[in-house]
Amino acid sequence: MADKMQLCNISENNFEQCTKCTICTTVCPVAAVSTDYPGPKQAGPDGERYRLKDNAYYDKVLKLCLNCKRCEVVCPSGVHIADIIQHARMSATKGHRASLRDTMLANTDLLGTMANLVAPVANAALGLKPTKLVMDSIMSIDKHRTFPAYSRIKFETWFKRHAASTQDAMPHHVSYFHGCYVNYNFPKLGQDFVKLMNAVGYGVHLLDKEQCCGVALIANGLYKQATRQARTNAASIGKAVKVDHRTVLTTSSTCTLNLRDEYPALLNVDTSDVRDSIMLATRFIYNLVDEGKINLVFKQDYKRRIAYHTACHMQRLGWQLYSIEMLRMIPGIDLQVLDQECCGISGTYGFKKENYERSQTIGSILFNHIAQAQVEAVATDCETCKWQIEMSTGLAVENPVSILADALDVEATRKANNLIS
Amino acid sequence: MRTDTIIMGGGLSGLACGIALAKRGQRVTIVASGQSTLLFNGGSMELLGNIDGQVITSPLDAISTLPHDHPYSKIGTSRISSLASEAQGLLADAGISMEGTATTNHWRITPMGVAKPAWLTLSENIRIDELDKLPAKRVALMCIRGFFDQPNGMLAHGLRQLGFDVQMVEFTTDDITALRRSPSEMRAASIAKHLMSNNALQRVADQINKLAADADMVLLPSVLGLTDESHFKALQDMVHKPLRLIATLSPAVAGSRMQSALRHYFQMLGGNYLMGDTVVGGNLEGDKLLTVTTAKLGDMPLRANNFVLATGSFVSRGLMANYERVYEPIFDLDVDADGDREQWTRFGIMDPQAYSRYGVATDSGLHCLKHGKPIGNLYAIGSVLSGHDAIKMGDGTGVSLLTALAVAQDILSGNK
Repeated sequence: MADKMQLCNISENNFEQCTKCTICTTVCPVAAVSTDYPGPKQAGPDGERYRLKDNAYYDKVLKLCLNCKRCEVVCPSGVHIADIIQHARMSATKGHRASLRDTMLANTDLLGTMANLVAPVANAALGLKPTKLVMDSIMSIDKHRTFPAYSRIKFETWFKRHAASTQDAMPHHVSYFHGCYVNYNFPKLGQDFVKLMNAVGYGVHLLDKEQCCGVALIANGLYKQATRQARTNAASIGKAVKVDHRTVLTTSSTCTLNLRDEYPALLNVDTSDVRDSIMLATRFIYNLVDEGKINLVFKQDYKRRIAYHTACHMQRLGWQLYSIEMLRMIPGIDLQVLDQECCGISGTYGFKKENYERSQTIGSILFNHIAQAQVEAVATDCETCKWQIEMSTGLAVENPVSILADALDVEATRKANNLIS
Repeated sequence: MRTDTIIMGGGLSGLACGIALAKRGQRVTIVASGQSTLLFNGGSMELLGNIDGQVITSPLDAISTLPHDHPYSKIGTSRISSLASEAQGLLADAGISMEGTATTNHWRITPMGVAKPAWLTLSENIRIDELDKLPAKRVALMCIRGFFDQPNGMLAHGLRQLGFDVQMVEFTTDDITALRRSPSEMRAASIAKHLMSNNALQRVADQINKLAADADMVLLPSVLGLTDESHFKALQDMVHKPLRLIATLSPAVAGSRMQSALRHYFQMLGGNYLMGDTVVGGNLEGDKLLTVTTAKLGDMPLRANNFVLATGSFVSRGLMANYERVYEPIFDLDVDADGDREQWTRFGIMDPQAYSRYGVATDSGLHCLKHGKPIGNLYAIGSVLSGHDAIKMGDGTGVSLLTALAVAQDILSGNK
């Protein structure tokens, strides 16, 4: 009763809870390097007061926001600052047409399907200086960027040819939302995931229909398409969870955040009934180990010094604990956890010519920390952080799932889980 | 997930406790719901500054006269001195170099220009050991054009009251002027981010050397050194006069740096720091807390042998109030607070406020109480504790550090 008045007095993104402490602005990676961007307090809750009166108060510098969500993570008052900014962008750009460049960058499925067909040509062409210059000048995609290489064979194709037939025989089952990156660019991560899950007795299954989670579509203003794809994915995930009774696992922190939280918050696609069944593989596996349901045996001779980078969206999910603790289970790994800093790429943001320099300046703090850490490789759960860190530091960047699969003694693990005698 | 100790709250107290435990090999997880009030700290720690309006010069002596419900009395006055030096060592190990002693208070200068008793102050900040022996007579107070976080007139007035001969010097540089494109963000931390290169610092030094040539000492608002003290040292080398920083309004650069340094040190020791997550409940069985649940870890609760509540006071939501009562929101622990709402506040904003002494009730070992009974493995430390008053007694940061280290010792020695 006593709480009622105060509870009723909170708006959707609880912006009136902002106490103007300005802590969010101290951690904003964009405000730190650009005087054009006023920072999350001004762009979010402060600006919202004006925009509620009249959308003409919308300030176009809001497009500089990376949507890294570090502001939300540090807010002592629980204000959904990044959501306020995203909503403002969405309502201000309603009806606008996205540019060809933005449409191309955002359409990972379309681009991926085309590129897979001609992967060697596409990779070579995308790497050529003339192509880069054309993209730089006509498309405004920065020439310093290297497009992640396209795989010749999609993960889904590999899975159907080489893995699908043996999955049903496993004692337990999960579904896998692989994401575009695994499908078109880096099937090895998906293969590592299958190897790891199979070694502990879990069969892996694809969703009935998976489309790109849509994070790039949202970032580039293609909201209708993002909503369509969100509905398709929500339906497929719904079937996997409610009909097949399978947890849906992922290997990308950003896809995971998008499926669980951005679908309802930004696209109005309700995933609340399956939200708890969508999770990163490291969280799922950690819990199995923690509860004594599975055993992992690692290779004796596996020795590496690795730094763990907490991707911004991973921090927003709050699940870095699981990836870090999984890596710590590997006896041969000397793990250094890096201070949480933004790498600056934020999906397609850093590919755009107008953002390139800002993107690299933002990332420079992290790159310095990585250089000081004197490690052989970096682990992170985000594929775009991977591109950025690899391009900027020259070090290999691997998903924790790949590292686990690599370090795993598969035969010994299968024995330890009574899958073979 | 099994750890030795779970700490709820990632501010000064939670981090100090976490570091002390992790240093001795414990597996520790800190759950921090957002940044802490340490970001409001201008670069000083206080042990005990005032009792009933009387200024304290020798805090260690005065602590023995405190009432029995003060957190220092619960720790035991005999432990205070060694805990204070342990705290100073811990800060130094984290890379935070502070000066001062627990036996004699010095004076820090607030952003409003008031001198307040302090225990430790960052080496680069202005510090007055004795009020009749100022560190300099003629000071140039550097006032950055368009800067939000320094009330120049008030500060100059305060410094003059203390006996300084103050010359107010307005200045700017191209780097700082560029920031004024977002005038609302002319804040200390924003400026500090744009004063990290030697070139930017040299432009500040050129202005200081040109405009403050007559001063014995230059006072610059604390807009330097988000990462470490190297920017201050670089600027001091470029400036011809002794340079000191003066605390600004918050969020403060000094507090921001202390928070990052402590968090970094904690993580280097193997601790897990979950920023942006909140403990929402726990599984209490008899006098023992078995697990806690967080908003983001969801259906996978955290297990531990010991738990520490370091969630802070009202501003950090460690304590909450509605129209009927003051309460502790996670476990609904017993709180020391008036039942009658009329008693919570006094009308004058500068009057001692009853609510600032409210907090969770603990036994003499700082175990939290529920329905009058102690929970054997749940401790409270820092601002969430009752019986002290950070504003009127100047004991906030001291209570945070010392209760943190005392509880860490008790946990390590297996005391119940």
